[in-house]
Amino acid sequence: MPEPITAPAIELDGVSKAFGANKVLDDVSLTVRHGSIMVMLGPSGTGKSVLLRCLVGLLRPDAGRVLVYGEDVAALDESRPRDRARLFALRRRFGMLFQDGALFDDMDVGDNVAFPMRMHTDLSEAQIRAKVADKLRRVGLSGVERKAPSELSGGMRKRVAFARAIALEPDIVLCDEPSSGLDPVMSATLDELILELHRTLGMTFIVISHDTAEAKKIADTIGLLASGKLVTYGPAADVFAEGQPALRQFFERSTEGPIRVL
Amino acid sequence: MSQRRGPLEATLAFLDFFAAVLRCLVTGPHFWLETLRTMDILMRRCLIPVGLAVAPVGAVIALQGVGVFRMFGVEGLLSSMLATAIFRQYSPALASVMVAAQAGSSIAARIGTMKVRGQIDALAVMSVDPLRYVVVPGFIACLIIAPLLNVLTTALGLVSGWFFAVVLARVDHGAFVDNLYSQVTVTDLWIGLAKCTLFGGAIGLIAGFAGLRTVGGAAGVGRAANSTVVTTIIMILVIDYFISLLLLWLGV
Ligand SMILES: Nc1ncnc2c1ncn2[C@@H]1O[C@H](COP(=O)(O)OP(=O)(O)O)[C@@H](O)[C@H]1O
Ligand SMILES: [Mg+2]
Repeated sequence: MPEPITAPAIELDGVSKAFGANKVLDDVSLTVRHGSIMVMLGPSGTGKSVLLRCLVGLLRPDAGRVLVYGEDVAALDESRPRDRARLFALRRRFGMLFQDGALFDDMDVGDNVAFPMRMHTDLSEAQIRAKVADKLRRVGLSGVERKAPSELSGGMRKRVAFARAIALEPDIVLCDEPSSGLDPVMSATLDELILELHRTLGMTFIVISHDTAEAKKIADTIGLLASGKLVTYGPAADVFAEGQPALRQFFERSTEGPIRVL
Repeated sequence: MSQRRGPLEATLAFLDFFAAVLRCLVTGPHFWLETLRTMDILMRRCLIPVGLAVAPVGAVIALQGVGVFRMFGVEGLLSSMLATAIFRQYSPALASVMVAAQAGSSIAARIGTMKVRGQIDALAVMSVDPLRYVVVPGFIACLIIAPLLNVLTTALGLVSGWFFAVVLARVDHGAFVDNLYSQVTVTDLWIGLAKCTLFGGAIGLIAGFAGLRTVGGAAGVGRAANSTVVTTIIMILVIDYFISLLLLWLGV
């Protein structure tokens, strides 16, 4: 029996990131337990996507540490060959659903979902095809293998991208707004799928969302990012009970509160 | 990135990029299938334009030469001038320029599109190095198709020159063929092929570099493709000049 993993999947320690004068993340620290579901809420433009990109080393924070199972991604410099190899190895632990899907236009849906398996496994073509069909069925898209991404709606592309993200059943799945652009029923289906994968395979999920109902349904841990600061972070039950003003504003869809748009 | 991008920064970044591509070439993994696919696409894109561009050149050389050579009564030597011009200069330069225009722009546009649509990032997150998966195949493909096309342009240039001289201007066929190789040597062919390989590689490299640095949506993709074509064509013509000088100086 393998030893249970007790180290946190992700640990951010004082992470800051600015683009020129635009301070996007300001001293963010948090821990994501292995095998938990963390939902990060926040208005758009506050750095949620930037945060995810820091986790996989697509962006390097200006300050702070980004530990993935104890290894600091932020210390890896892509321009140094050894670090680059290490970074690509570390990314094997992740699957990522990008905000706009980022499917490959010159491949059909089946090849898109098969891509990570073709790259990183020795599975036969028949095995890969079976797995692709299974993943597509799970996201409610059976039989679309031969379609081009451009023939699909935005919501369908997102689900294909989700199927691709979970294709290798990675330790950590990062989902950038999986529910935006989906109808409520499809969105609920995707939530069920996240819960199922979490339950059966013990995957860790980090989900960015605008949807408070989704957060209530799936989150073990909830965070609220506003203007680059982590306003609230903690176990879902506590966060909901606490009634933090910014979070309450978010849940009540109110223009009144600490989050200022205008 | 929003950092300032001066010419110095671009040059340093290009040298870094070049070094990284070389590292990818000497160490695995290699994506040979992707390389073949890229070669196939680029070859299809280049064949017809290259043919159309080089055919008139042979005819023009013959057209201009035939009058002068006739004046001195040595029109049989027309073919040796034609062969020298085509083997040494026109064919390699034209093949390279067409590879820059067709293959360079297509590589830069493809990689640029992938970049602005987040697909390059998606590759990286799936632990597939974009340098290995999209840049190196384009580089190798250009390196190979440029000399291949040079063989084709050389043949086409000679055929079109022959057609103009023999069929239209009534130069003697026997004299044309006899004198064809009197001035050119196998070395000329090798020099032409070597130049094309050099230019082809540079095109693939510059196109990949411009593609990966694309920012700013569809307009940015257009800029990347355009700057690739302009940069590489100027580079080809300038370097070609210096190579000719050098060879002349060496007496090759
Ligand atoms: N690569 C980048 N270069 C410059 N600015 C960026 C970059 N990526 C994101 N930003 C800026 O960072 C801020 C946060 O962006 P993002 O993380 O995408 O927001 P969201 O919370 O909606 O996902 C925005 O102001 C955006 O303009
Ligand atoms: Mg975002």
